[in-house]
Amino acid sequence: MRLLIFFCALTATLIFSRCGDKSTSHPYKATPYEINIPFGFPTNLNIPEDNPMTVEGVELGRYLFYDGRLSGRTHPDSLISCATCHRQERSFEAGIDHPDFPGGFPHGINGLKTHHVMLPMINLVWNSSGYGWSGFLYPENPIENLRNLEDMVRLAVLAKDEIDGDTTRIKKLFQSINGYPNLFEKAFGSSNVTFKNIEKSIAQFIRTLISANSKFDKYMRGEEQLTQSELAGYVLFTTEEGADCFHCHGGWGNPLFTTHLFYNNGKDTAFLDPLDRYSITQDPMDRGAYKATTLRNIEVQGPFMHDGRFTTLEDVINFYSHELNMTPYIDPLMHHIIAGGIQLTPSEKIDLLNFIKTLRDDEFMTKVEFSKPDKFPDEL
Amino acid sequence: MHNKNNYIIIPTLLLVSLIFSSCENSSIEPENPTGKLRIEFNHYINGENIIFDSMAYVNDAGNNYLVNEIQYFISDVTLHKNDGSTIILNTWQDILYVDTDIDETNSYIFKDEISEDEYSKLSFTFGIVAEKNNSLMFVNPPESFMFWPELLGGGYHYMKLNGKWNNELNQPAPFNFHLGIGQIYYSFPDSISEYVQNHFIVELPEMALNIKDNETTTIKLIMNVDRWFNTPNIYDHNFWGGDIMQKQDAMQQAIENGHNVFSYIIK
Ligand code: HEC
Ligand code: HEC
Repeated sequence: MRLLIFFCALTATLIFSRCGDKSTSHPYKATPYEINIPFGFPTNLNIPEDNPMTVEGVELGRYLFYDGRLSGRTHPDSLISCATCHRQERSFEAGIDHPDFPGGFPHGINGLKTHHVMLPMINLVWNSSGYGWSGFLYPENPIENLRNLEDMVRLAVLAKDEIDGDTTRIKKLFQSINGYPNLFEKAFGSSNVTFKNIEKSIAQFIRTLISANSKFDKYMRGEEQLTQSELAGYVLFTTEEGADCFHCHGGWGNPLFTTHLFYNNGKDTAFLDPLDRYSITQDPMDRGAYKATTLRNIEVQGPFMHDGRFTTLEDVINFYSHELNMTPYIDPLMHHIIAGGIQLTPSEKIDLLNFIKTLRDDEFMTKVEFSKPDKFPDEL
Repeated sequence: MHNKNNYIIIPTLLLVSLIFSSCENSSIEPENPTGKLRIEFNHYINGENIIFDSMAYVNDAGNNYLVNEIQYFISDVTLHKNDGSTIILNTWQDILYVDTDIDETNSYIFKDEISEDEYSKLSFTFGIVAEKNNSLMFVNPPESFMFWPELLGGGYHYMKLNGKWNNELNQPAPFNFHLGIGQIYYSFPDSISEYVQNHFIVELPEMALNIKDNETTTIKLIMNVDRWFNTPNIYDHNFWGGDIMQKQDAMQQAIENGHNVFSYIIK
């Protein structure tokens, strides 16, 4: 009998010590949401352990993302949601043609302009190096509540230049809206509306926003051919002697079309913005550095760069061609700086632009699952 | 058949099955005494740790230069014995990625159980051999960021050594000392006649390398960055310019120098 106890104890220890396997037991039984990895995409996802993806969580997140009452206000004139600025048809940026933000420069509910222009919401589940233009939200951040998309939800809700909400009011309001408590129950096992669960569900929804069906994706999968000009542009994009964009903006082997890393790409000679990459790392080499954004869907976005200085992609290509500024902070990958730029000819510029346009994914920008729900829970 | 022994047999079976299903990190007690090998990666200029981003260095061509970051692959690390036999350390991973910006990549313990013995030499491939250098085999960062464009031969950069040098106009000009598959052009840059596999084997000098039972031997592997630019070829950034991915002649100079770049110390 001693032996028996010994074996049982041993077995138990083994079970509990197996490979540091973290058993995540949840009191509620929401349906796991499966993310399908598109061809060539990374298999590592940035999903925090305490917020696993569920079908019910994503559904709730979609409602909240689009619900103008997310500020805690209900007056028709004071409705604002994430989608007020992050529009699906603009790859979740505001876009130059936004009805309320002339030129695509957004402002919050109080009219206060945002410090930088928009970032798109696309393939963010693959970003582990930092959200925001400066990458101020990252998984290893010693400041625990500045680490991930959940935190971005809170910051956007609280920011004076965005939603300017009050979490207590928001919780109370959503607790009182018919249908929502039930959705919280289904997603998180409690009909009690908490701000944490608001953060979690919206973050889950954002993680489902995957774009991987552009013309270039079809080319990669062997389903479609690129035109002569697009191919010429692709060659320029991925060669050092050409336009040399791929080291920072990806390509075949990095189909995110971004490294999510931070570079000074030669826009300026003086760096006065207090919210550049340097503000996060305190590394002098990071002065004037910002995230190299993904070029997927870039055609429908804009204005371009963190301060929105360029209105068109033609402007951007002209900048990389002839208008680079040399400073000690320029990233070494900008080796064309010595010539002032990549010096493309007019026809090469057209080819490069045509290639960049193959990264547009119309399916992403019209997909029903990502769009505004027809009815909110209290209208059902 | 209600035997008391069942109480023991069942847990035993459970235990045994658990042991064998435990995610590969268990193993049967080996018959021969074995030890492990750890490699620590170090990056020197003129015999000392590099101070990054500091224009403090001069190469043999007289270029003042700084180093911003180094990212590279070594593969098929091999231990040699005096009798000429070899062991390739590839049980778990045959390609190692090293990045001066990512501390976790600067030390690696091989999973391989290495027989206790005195080994005489270590060698490895700098870069990745052609058969293994397949596009999209690394889908996750940071390795995926090393991809080498399809048109230029595909697969992965063997190395990105990024820095700046003071050029003839005394400007801090960026250099991207990038190695990977080279190209021979019919007519530059449009038409390529053949690709050149530039990976090469680095054989480190002989040294008694003892692997002992249940111990981990540590090798401090040093990339002497200055040597990329001086032995046997004096490499002049003013001559080759800031980028070399499409300049096989420059990459050829670099790989000839590359044979002399590494040294090691056994800790
Ligand atoms: C007033 C317009 C506005 C509203 C409303 C708004 N955002 Fe944003 N959002 C921005 C701007 C501007 C940025 C760029 C932020 C920066 O400076 O780094 C941004 C960036 C982001 C990013 C980072 C994307 C990346 O690639 O790093 C996420 C995620 C995000 N917003 C989520 C939300 C969520 C969730 C909401 C609703 C709770 C929301 N936003 C509401 C303007 C807005
Ligand atoms: C050294 C890295 C690097 C290289 C090389 C590079 N970029 Fe960028 N790119 C960046 C960074 C960083 C930003 C964001 C800068 C900012 O906002 O201030 C950016 C921004 C952009 C934007 C605007 C994105 C947006 O959302 O506003 C476009 C378009 C763009 N780059 C295209 C290109 C093209 C085309 C090439 C090749 C000719 C290229 N880039 C080469 C780093 C790079």
